[in-house]
Amino acid sequence: MKKLILVLLFLGTFSLQAQNIVRYDLYVRDTLVNFSGKERHAIAVNGQIPMPTLTFTEGDIAEIYVHNELDEETSLHWHGLFLPNKEDGVPYLTQMPIPPHTVHKYTFPIIQHGTHWYHSHFGLQEQIGMYGSMILNKRTDDKTFRKGIDDLPTIPIILSEWTDIKPENVHRMLHNASDWFAIKKGTTQSYGEAIKTGYFKIKLHNEWKRMLAMDVSDVYYEKFLINGKSENEDTSLKGLKAGDKVRLRISNGGASSYFWLTYAGGKITVVANDGNDLEPVDVDRMLIAVSETYDVVVTIPADDTAFEFLATSEDRIKSASIYLGTGIKQLTSPLPKLKYFEGMEMMNGMMKMNGDLDQMGMNMSMQQMDMNVVMYPEITGPAANGKGMKMDKDDEEHSGHKMEQMNGMKMSEDMYKSNELSDITTLNYAMLKSPTVTTLPEDAPIKELHFTLTGNMSRYVWSLDNKVISETDKILIKKGEKVRITMYNNSMMRHPMHLHGHDFRLLNGEGEYAPLKNVVDIMPMETDVIEFEANVEGDWFFHCHILYHMMSGMGRVFSYENQEPNPLIPNPALALRKLKGDDRAFHLMAENDFATNGNDGQLMIQSTRWSIGTEWRLGYNDMHGYETETHIGRYIGKMQWLMPFVGFDWRYRKLGHNEFEENLFGQKNTKDNRSLVSLGVAYTLPMLVVAQAEIFTDGNVRLQFERNDIPLTQRLRMNLMWNTDKEYMAGLRYIATRNLGVTTHYDSDMGFGIGAMLNY
Amino acid sequence: MKSFKIIMVALMVLSSTALIAQIKNAQTETVKIFGNCDMCKTAIETAGNIKNTASVDWNKDSQMAEITFDSKKSNRDEILKRIALAGYDNDHYLAPDNAYAQLSECCKYERQKKEPAMAMSLSKMEMEMHESKMEMNMTSSENHANMLMPEMKESNSLEIVFDTYFAISDALVKTNAVTASAKASELLNAIKVLKIETFKTADQAALTKVLPSLVADAKGISESKDIVKQRSKNMHEILAYYSSHEPLYFQYCPMQDANWLSKEKAIKNPYYGSQMLSCGSTVETIEHNN
Repeated sequence: MKKLILVLLFLGTFSLQAQNIVRYDLYVRDTLVNFSGKERHAIAVNGQIPMPTLTFTEGDIAEIYVHNELDEETSLHWHGLFLPNKEDGVPYLTQMPIPPHTVHKYTFPIIQHGTHWYHSHFGLQEQIGMYGSMILNKRTDDKTFRKGIDDLPTIPIILSEWTDIKPENVHRMLHNASDWFAIKKGTTQSYGEAIKTGYFKIKLHNEWKRMLAMDVSDVYYEKFLINGKSENEDTSLKGLKAGDKVRLRISNGGASSYFWLTYAGGKITVVANDGNDLEPVDVDRMLIAVSETYDVVVTIPADDTAFEFLATSEDRIKSASIYLGTGIKQLTSPLPKLKYFEGMEMMNGMMKMNGDLDQMGMNMSMQQMDMNVVMYPEITGPAANGKGMKMDKDDEEHSGHKMEQMNGMKMSEDMYKSNELSDITTLNYAMLKSPTVTTLPEDAPIKELHFTLTGNMSRYVWSLDNKVISETDKILIKKGEKVRITMYNNSMMRHPMHLHGHDFRLLNGEGEYAPLKNVVDIMPMETDVIEFEANVEGDWFFHCHILYHMMSGMGRVFSYENQEPNPLIPNPALALRKLKGDDRAFHLMAENDFATNGNDGQLMIQSTRWSIGTEWRLGYNDMHGYETETHIGRYIGKMQWLMPFVGFDWRYRKLGHNEFEENLFGQKNTKDNRSLVSLGVAYTLPMLVVAQAEIFTDGNVRLQFERNDIPLTQRLRMNLMWNTDKEYMAGLRYIATRNLGVTTHYDSDMGFGIGAMLNY
Repeated sequence: MKSFKIIMVALMVLSSTALIAQIKNAQTETVKIFGNCDMCKTAIETAGNIKNTASVDWNKDSQMAEITFDSKKSNRDEILKRIALAGYDNDHYLAPDNAYAQLSECCKYERQKKEPAMAMSLSKMEMEMHESKMEMNMTSSENHANMLMPEMKESNSLEIVFDTYFAISDALVKTNAVTASAKASELLNAIKVLKIETFKTADQAALTKVLPSLVADAKGISESKDIVKQRSKNMHEILAYYSSHEPLYFQYCPMQDANWLSKEKAIKNPYYGSQMLSCGSTVETIEHNN
């Protein structure tokens, strides 16, 4: 009898646990939002942005029904979760996208705890509202339950950003190296500004090294948001008193923004990262990378006061706030503006002529050395800017070089160690330590992988080992292997690299207690090593989580050898083609100058490697003539400075009777009526001058030098061109709006003109 | 003097209505903002004002501010947050400690709503910021009055007249001939754009009476870079109509047998500046009656 009861009891608890199904219904709909004063299209789930916070407890079974009421496809990815591959939500990789007006059910057991989040992995939907918090609570009987942390009142926080420009257009503009975002941010770093602030030589040096204006982020955002708002009063926790502690579960759901986190009420205690517990560590501030999560504990220091928790975008243009506690609001100081020209000087120093980064013998890793500190006034002193410049010039020189002298050598690691340069403690990866041993099985075979993160800002190509997703095969790994990945960032931007379906150990010097993460942010010139145990079959995405980098092809797929086919991918070949389609896309650029002396314009479509472009000059009469040049070329090399091309020229003009033009090489040409094919090569020289050599089917040769878009002031650009056909052109363009400019130019064929430039 | 008082009151009404007229969907609220002096007034209003969107009028004595804003573009909290970030505690926001620390000495009002528990030690960052700010203050101290101007232009033309008057006086007190001259030119410009026909008949009469001598004196100061010559001008002829809620002091310099207007009760003699700064006496206190 006793035995029977025992057995029954056992069954009872078992079934109880099995039945703990938590169901969510998510209705995905198009919506109109107004974040910035302008109505824009966005996507809301259950009528809200961000998507609702999903809460589970470890041991639950999640059942999530996605009702796709959009007119386009979608899919949801559960960021940082361990789950069967077919529930991972990567379209064309782990499932086919959810068709419009259908329902898809995701279901998986919750086998971990921690702060995570979820977002659309389809196209650019993440940018326009499809992100939300996902909180997996610890069971109260969990051995790792931490009193004083896991039982604190909790606020889920999801950070994000809003742009009024459609994300597809943002992506296109980035690929066309549009400087509209820089204009909006005030970070053009033009020659005018450089001269005014005494950085002319540095600007010259910068362009000599073929770099465009530098920035820490690519996109201008109208608003930054905490839980969908710029200003939040926390209403979920009532009656907070002095001394009370609050746990914030923060996820960065921004598509491309890193955020500085600061708090008006004192220190921030970091207790978990990417859903994994950490030994608590106190900091003054921290930078949360795109798609990372951090759990922090803050103290309410006083009664009747609400303390500001501030999230500032990395470029420090704007911020979002949430106030903890009730009463009068205690603000925290905004972060001072970046010193961009100092940053430019730093970039000049680390950039080699061939476009590689020069580590100068420094071993950079784990965010401990931050080259960007040269731009932080709060660490390296205020900018010597504008009018004050003259007076402070000596002083600035002094302090700028003082540091070099202090350390005896030209450059030194200590120059960039933020925490040693000031009393402000900034979190870095070396400070993360797991409270439990995280070592992987010792006897497991090791698979070593090396990646160099590569990129090219001017063409917005982001890749691993200079190959985008569509140019590579899936990387095969075996179940039971220990996969160790060494990554070196040879690009000028930082990249938050995210691995699906697994946590990895970040080898940060903590030995057995290395922290577990699923996103590692790698700064320029840093080398980081991660390792994980291959324990769940499937095709797992590994990619940079900056949305526009990912869509440009910065990633790889890890695939387990000899695995079962995924039932949700009925046609793997088609799916693979679709997956690779993202970074194979061509981006359109078009402009036409409606000038008094004719129409000048070009149309270009470009992909990662190919460029198809047509330029035209259409006069208003036969004398001026009409001509077009079409080039189909392929970019070569990592920096893509070299482009061989095939050209097609067509020209019609009436110069008069038997008039010939002679080029510099003595070759003659009527130029009046010709249609020719050519072979040529274009190469970007220092100072961003494009040199182009071309040989035509009639034997004529042409050399041309062209420099476009020299930034004279914030909005004024200059174009210069000269070639061996004795043609030349000089022009100015004032950028009035995103699509409109006012131009004036002089052209050897068509003379002087002023016009209006429309560009797309 | 009496007649000027009347004009003052009349003009005050005029100016405040003119101010509101520029802001659409105007909504006005009165809130407490802590501060001490006229520098605070400038700083508070500068921090709060946004052209055609928000305007702040702060009273030093009552420490109350009337904030007017376009309810479609702005709101009370948004304005007060900006003011708090400039260092001024108010009903709804407490300034960050280092923003307060950066205020100049005269502006360091007593922080009342600040809980003692909150007294955080100044971190190095704050110290550095403080130092840098001090430096900036030093380099830009003479620009300070300049910085006043853009905001003032937004409010109304008469207020510019008043403020430039005080700026001249201030410059003379500080024995700064260049600024005095610059300010006097600004005053001339301000008088030029003054639309006398928009004032009431009685005020028009008073204005037409004082303006010629005002113009002459301002011209004299603006054309000279010599502090002695500047001071020889009859400051008391430069009459001001002040639209403030605070009292003005009509002060007298026995050495020059001349008068001047001041916002502060303490004597700061513009005729002698640092040579004999505290020489003089207050003849009359012009109280503003609400």
